[in-house]
Amino acid sequence: MPAMDMEVETIQRKQSLYQSMDEMFEIQKEMYKGQQYSQIYYIRLHLIRTLIYSLLPNWKPHLPVCTVLGLEEGKECIVVGTLYKHMKLKPTILSEYSKEMSAAPLVSPYNFVHPDDNLVLEDESGRVNLKGSVLSPSVYVTGNVVALHGKETSAGDFLVEDILEAGLPPQLDLPNKSGEDKYVVLVSGLNVGSSSSNPLQLQLLVDHITGHLGDEKEQHSAAQIVQVVVAGNSVQIHHELLNGQNLASKDQSRLSEPIKELDIFLTQIAAGIPIDIMPGYNDPANFALPQQVPLNRCLFPGSVAYNTFRSCTNPHLFDVDNVRFLGTSGQNIDDLEKYSEAEDKLEFMERTLRWRHLAPTAPNTLGCYPFTDRDPFFIESCPHVYFVGNQDKYATRIVKGSEGQVVRVVCIPKFSETGIAVMVNLRNLECHTLSFGTQISS
Amino acid sequence: MASSADMKGFYKQKKKNAAISKPSSNKSKSKPKNAVSFGARNAQPTALVAHGSLDLQEGHDATEEVLRQFDMNMAYGPCVGMKRMDRWERAASLGLNPPKDVHRLLTSTSNEGSLWDGRV
Repeated sequence: MPAMDMEVETIQRKQSLYQSMDEMFEIQKEMYKGQQYSQIYYIRLHLIRTLIYSLLPNWKPHLPVCTVLGLEEGKECIVVGTLYKHMKLKPTILSEYSKEMSAAPLVSPYNFVHPDDNLVLEDESGRVNLKGSVLSPSVYVTGNVVALHGKETSAGDFLVEDILEAGLPPQLDLPNKSGEDKYVVLVSGLNVGSSSSNPLQLQLLVDHITGHLGDEKEQHSAAQIVQVVVAGNSVQIHHELLNGQNLASKDQSRLSEPIKELDIFLTQIAAGIPIDIMPGYNDPANFALPQQVPLNRCLFPGSVAYNTFRSCTNPHLFDVDNVRFLGTSGQNIDDLEKYSEAEDKLEFMERTLRWRHLAPTAPNTLGCYPFTDRDPFFIESCPHVYFVGNQDKYATRIVKGSEGQVVRVVCIPKFSETGIAVMVNLRNLECHTLSFGTQISS
Repeated sequence: MASSADMKGFYKQKKKNAAISKPSSNKSKSKPKNAVSFGARNAQPTALVAHGSLDLQEGHDATEEVLRQFDMNMAYGPCVGMKRMDRWERAASLGLNPPKDVHRLLTSTSNEGSLWDGRV
């Protein structure tokens, strides 16, 4: 057998600058002093209203602006306030106590939109019902702050003629337009420990990213990966074990097995490449958004040894080589899907960008911490890549703003079900998938 | 409705009538003192009204009045569940220019809770 010419040429992985801006989502320093959610709604109204007031001269400068109590019948004006959507099918705890059994049929619990839903505008002075066909209740949700042009009718309602949203925030220019290709891998829904997750598939992903798979060409393309982000739902713990009783020792090991398995995978990745892990709705982290940094570091004894392993908040805001990424593990978009309608998930994501708010349904239907001095879901500066994890299928689009903003919007599918991870090119924001399968179709 | 200052003047003068005497029937005098007694004759006995005035006075001086007006001002947001100092500082950081004398009063007195503190 001829001796193989062993030219061990090591391929260097590309490096990148990373900066995290998660401080805004951290609540370690917050102290709960008995405040209610009215404070976060006030902050949201103040932030977005101040912004909209600065946009009004470019929109309809000839119309006066008034508050809800200052509305006069027949006078055309502009009002800015928070929308509240009155939904017939929205589940309320009080319906348990209603004397009559509800005659409405049991609607699929996934979407509570009904043709009879109506919108109400509210600011500090009062509320007014909104009428008119311009404003479609199935598009908006409680918690949106918008400006409305219209007039008050004789019935005391506000007839809407036009609507102005906050719009995409300003964006810093995309740097490095002529540089080399560098990729960020986005993956979510690993669901280690669930019946649908396939360890072989996950190992294939890990091997590909670390360059243990494929020929030299594959390895070169893997060397261009500079960052991996795991966007939520990395483990699935057996819920039947968590029923409040003491665990036998064999049950204890069954409980911690998924996390140990995940730790092994993450250690392999962290050994070679920076990895960020975000908590999701199934992960052992707090429930209310913004989900906090632990995913406890003591859960990952192996990976924690590497400083490339970063446990991040959900939502997560960071820069790689000055390309801004903003993303969540999916709760905000899934909640929008329950309370409004759109053609696809990308449209929900585009709406949140145009409303300049990541999670308008928080705290109404989405759990959230009662902030008093800031609303961390308000999007200050437009990201270049906006991603949402744990979706049913992969989808992506470029969203363009009115001032030249360009955003790559990505829906990351659940890896345990689809075997798909997403690669985003930092140079030109192009996006393609990495698909791993373990079935050989005959 | 009479402004609060006048109402205080009302009852303050009532208190000076230490002896709970029946109001005089001297209608020609136009001073507020007799106006109170004029109405009081037909309404509740003076003893009860005097009691009512004591309740309203409790812990409610001019400083507290200014702070309550600050609490009620909706431009600075809802006041429930927040300490007054925190709310003032939030208003200042949002650029709303809350009145400086409120800040002065808050640093000097110890009225931390808002109007609804412990009552809602």
